[in-house]
Amino acid sequence: MNGIRVGNRVVGTQAPVTIGWENIPRVQGGPFKQWFFTWFQPVVLFGLIVFWYYAPNSIAKASTAIGIGVGFKILLLALEWVNPRYDSWRLTWKELATDLFYVGLGYTVLRLVDGYLGDGPMIDAMQGYWHLEKFQWFTGLPLLVQAFAISFIFDFGQYWMHRGMHNWQPLWLPHSVHHYITQLNINKGAVGNPIELFLISLGIGGFFDFLPRAALMAGAIGMAIGTYQHINVRFNSPRWWRFLFNTTEHHSLHHSQDFESTRSNYAGSYIFIDRMFGTCIDGEAELLGMEGGRRMTISEQMTHPFTEGWKALKEKFGRSPTAVPAE
Amino acid sequence: MNTQLIDWIWHVRGSVALAPGQTVEQAFGALDPLFHEPGTSHDRDGDALVFRKKGQAAQDKMSVFDAGVLRIENGMAGAVLHYHLISRALLLCFLAPLLFLGFAQLTLFVGNLEKASAEAAGKDAKAAKKNDKKDLALPLNPIDKFLGAPAPEKPKKDGKDKDSGKKKPSATAAYVFAGIFAALYLIGRVLEDKLVKRLFRRRLLGS
Repeated sequence: MNGIRVGNRVVGTQAPVTIGWENIPRVQGGPFKQWFFTWFQPVVLFGLIVFWYYAPNSIAKASTAIGIGVGFKILLLALEWVNPRYDSWRLTWKELATDLFYVGLGYTVLRLVDGYLGDGPMIDAMQGYWHLEKFQWFTGLPLLVQAFAISFIFDFGQYWMHRGMHNWQPLWLPHSVHHYITQLNINKGAVGNPIELFLISLGIGGFFDFLPRAALMAGAIGMAIGTYQHINVRFNSPRWWRFLFNTTEHHSLHHSQDFESTRSNYAGSYIFIDRMFGTCIDGEAELLGMEGGRRMTISEQMTHPFTEGWKALKEKFGRSPTAVPAE
Repeated sequence: MNTQLIDWIWHVRGSVALAPGQTVEQAFGALDPLFHEPGTSHDRDGDALVFRKKGQAAQDKMSVFDAGVLRIENGMAGAVLHYHLISRALLLCFLAPLLFLGFAQLTLFVGNLEKASAEAAGKDAKAAKKNDKKDLALPLNPIDKFLGAPAPEKPKKDGKDKDSGKKKPSATAAYVFAGIFAALYLIGRVLEDKLVKRLFRRRLLGS
């Protein structure tokens, strides 16, 4: 494959990729369908912002956010059924069961571990040790500024953590498991080795004090933008949306079977962070995964970083066999 | 013990009648593409075909099965394909509720440990609470006031919020996922049985 030059790199030499918005297919069908799949994303985003801005205190609670999150995922599952981006990414029973296993881990045992070892307890310990106060002046900022700050601070940290995972072997080993997924569906973001899922959830937001409503708005903004990273739905995202925010197109390229393409589009929500640091490529890919699209079993996903890490250590520090001189 | 009493959990058995006049060769010829998917190996021996799958692709129409035997036998009403397929995915899904119930028990255990240590440190908490009695009313920016956003609630002083910074681990999510996987197993056991039967029938009848 010849590949396509993007800036100073050449992508698509190992697997087919589509580069440039003008080359990406558009939603086919009648005017209502085209209108729906053009405006769905912005309407949901602004609708959620307005809801959380004005919801009475009795409703503006974490339990409401969980309910909206579950309902939104069910709606997106229906959209995957109605308007799939690729038939080759169709959700099957086995894929759904596998994905839900990881979602379940995230809501149960990983959350339990996170309560003791995650960024919250770490920051509490640091604040206790150095007698640091939270940056309380943040609570006086306008709600939308606080909400954007929360999501941007988290996404900025996640960008560098993610980029680090693609550039440093000890971080790549746990993250590589996530790159064995061969199709994008709405729960695929949860699929990965638990160590990686723990690492990618770390943030420095705990150093700041925010109004609870701002935190709920930030969660809604993250959900209404970040969920589209992993989804099998074709949207005609508006030009401004795909300039600012991460899209399925960007993230499919990041999961491509083409190595050079995977080294792009690291941000979770705000693709403009990638634009700032020169790692954004506008395009998409259908063939995803590693090793030519080999599907990894759950047991291998759990052990892969350790077995590969052990192999790498043995290679680096193991004694090379010495030749025994003949008598 | 008759293993069929329990192995139906992850073993799928069934039969499909061949088209009238269809020979064994023709029938296996029609099914042949199914066993040339990536990660699939098969071995044909007369009227029987044995297959095994490893690392099968997500879109492989038989991806849920890891091994199986297909046999064509002549009956009174004509030739019939009998199949016996084995699925680790179904077995693991069947067992998943137990795993999540285990997580629920673990969460409750950790919660009880937390409670015991919190009670032991109760005196310290009371002392700390005295310092928290100052008014902690949260501010709302004038722009938000002007736009009509509800003012933040004042923290309650009746002690109900004393653990707000330290949430007790809840086992609810683990119970919910145990239920989800129980439902998912039932759906999968019925659905995959129907889908594979339909797949074989369509292949054999050429539709």
